[in-house]
Amino acid sequence: MTQEKATADTVLEIRAVHHRYGRALALDGVDLRLVAGECVALLGPNGAGKTTLVNLVNGLLPAQAGRVRLAGGDPRDAATRRHLGVVQQSLGFPDTLKVGELVTGAAVRAGMPRAAAAPVLAELGLTDLAGRRAARLSGGQKQRVQLAMALVSDPALLVLDEPTAGLDVPARRRFWQILAQRRARGTAVLVTTHLIAETAAIADRVVVLDHGRVVAAGSPAALAARLPDRTVIARTSLGPARLAGLPGAVSVREDGDHVRIGTRAPESLLRVLLAEDPELSDLRVEGAGLSDAVVGLTEPTEPTEPTGSTEQTGKVGVR
Amino acid sequence: MNVRVLGVEVLDELRGIVREPAALFFAVVMPVGFFALFSSLFGEPTMLATFGTFGVLAVSLMSPGIGVARDRELGWSRAKRVSAVPVGITLAAKVVAALPYAVGVLLAMTVAAALTGSLDASAGVLLRVGGVLVLGALPFALLGMAVGFQAGTNASSAILNAILLPSAVLSGLWMPLEILPGFAASLAPFLPTYHLAQLALAQFDGGGGAGHALVLAGMTAVTAALAAVSYRHSRL
Ligand SMILES: Nc1ncnc2c1ncn2[C@@H]1O[C@H](COP(=O)(O)OP(=O)(O)O)[C@@H](O)[C@H]1O
Ligand SMILES: [Mg+2]
Repeated sequence: MTQEKATADTVLEIRAVHHRYGRALALDGVDLRLVAGECVALLGPNGAGKTTLVNLVNGLLPAQAGRVRLAGGDPRDAATRRHLGVVQQSLGFPDTLKVGELVTGAAVRAGMPRAAAAPVLAELGLTDLAGRRAARLSGGQKQRVQLAMALVSDPALLVLDEPTAGLDVPARRRFWQILAQRRARGTAVLVTTHLIAETAAIADRVVVLDHGRVVAAGSPAALAARLPDRTVIARTSLGPARLAGLPGAVSVREDGDHVRIGTRAPESLLRVLLAEDPELSDLRVEGAGLSDAVVGLTEPTEPTEPTGSTEQTGKVGVR
Repeated sequence: MNVRVLGVEVLDELRGIVREPAALFFAVVMPVGFFALFSSLFGEPTMLATFGTFGVLAVSLMSPGIGVARDRELGWSRAKRVSAVPVGITLAAKVVAALPYAVGVLLAMTVAAALTGSLDASAGVLLRVGGVLVLGALPFALLGMAVGFQAGTNASSAILNAILLPSAVLSGLWMPLEILPGFAASLAPFLPTYHLAQLALAQFDGGGGAGHALVLAGMTAVTAALAAVSYRHSRL
């Protein structure tokens, strides 16, 4: 009884989920819970397992191990997916359908009246495009059509897989603005991205996925403060243990005959590094990509539970 | 509620058919043109049954199957699969949307027969022939979709044509079996298309053909299972 009470406003519950493609392990024990109105960004480099996790939530993939519950039901059941809105990573529209027809169709498929389409088209700035064939839209417009189709049923959970990949900055900003309005109305959102900078604009909570495991979680600000934003690259004779001990070194990775050191304070790190290794060569400092940033993170900073949750679950994603 | 959803799905499919006139041309104009030519040459009333079988077959084998393949190639089938619509409705819509198309082919052939003076059947017989052909097309639509779940758009089109054209010839849809080499006549009873044509022909002499109907029913069960297995193993 107490457990039911604690999960009453749980929209999505993922527990101990593993997923394999043949022999390759794509998800290695992921737990995640979303409550109503919460927005979680799933952050991870390419191949981290984001799409796999999203496809378990939207019912495209069966749960091989562990459990996925959407609004209390199994997302593999069509009826459960009435609570779900989906924006997929690469979706093409049939060349023969128009924007208005697509959104009206989505309304009817979700059991809504046809008239539900018009306000959503207006909300997303698509009214003027309603008569246009969807296959002939720009990337940003197509993503807005997908979002309109997802929102027309007023879902409890909206799942978006890298919805702004390939969009230019204005289109991106516009997309996040629309999403923010919906969040304000209480829709829970799970969105994947490989851009850490985006998470601050959209998420209450960031969950970092790498190699199929949750390696960090927390508020966007807390994570940004912890993840390295610069990579120092050099050829050096110093060993990894010595490098990891440098002031401000967050992560160390060997890359051929170079090392890549993630840091938030490249200046002080470099001073010591140059002093310790006079033979250092081929030095570069770059902005840290996400794969550099998540290297070295091995466990969540904060539990991946919604704030205020009373439910106890085990540590997440730690071997 | 599912009726409304089916309605919307069928409407989308019909839009897809009507807004792509090139496909319409091949599937309607070609069989009807052939029929007009042959029936004006030979004036045989039962040619409506054999050419009608070919026309309905061309539509039912190709249209749903290629539609499924194209949706998969676009990623559009993933959008359907994550929606709240049961997959059966999406697939039923593809078959239902092919019906007006098939009926259109039959109507055009009937008109062509009337114009060339070879139409010699009562309205009842015409309706029965049409009913048999439209219902009997189901297993072929299922077979087409079984292919479309596995192959791409172009490959599906090639595979289904490679099934359609030899089946048509060997089942005597274009030329009577009597004038084909002997092996064709002995092969024909193994082809479902032959049984569909025979069932349609049987309507001209007052019905019958329960054996042919039975073969088609069995074929429907087999192709439905095939389509289900193919769907389950399809890549999205
Ligand atoms: N259909 C598939 N077959 C085989 N391997 C796959 C398939 N989809 C994804 N993978 C592998 O699983 C891992 C996770 O992929 P994915 O979930 O797409 O990651 P992300 O979306 O974070 O880039 C990757 O190593 C990827 O190569
Ligand atoms: Mg992905």
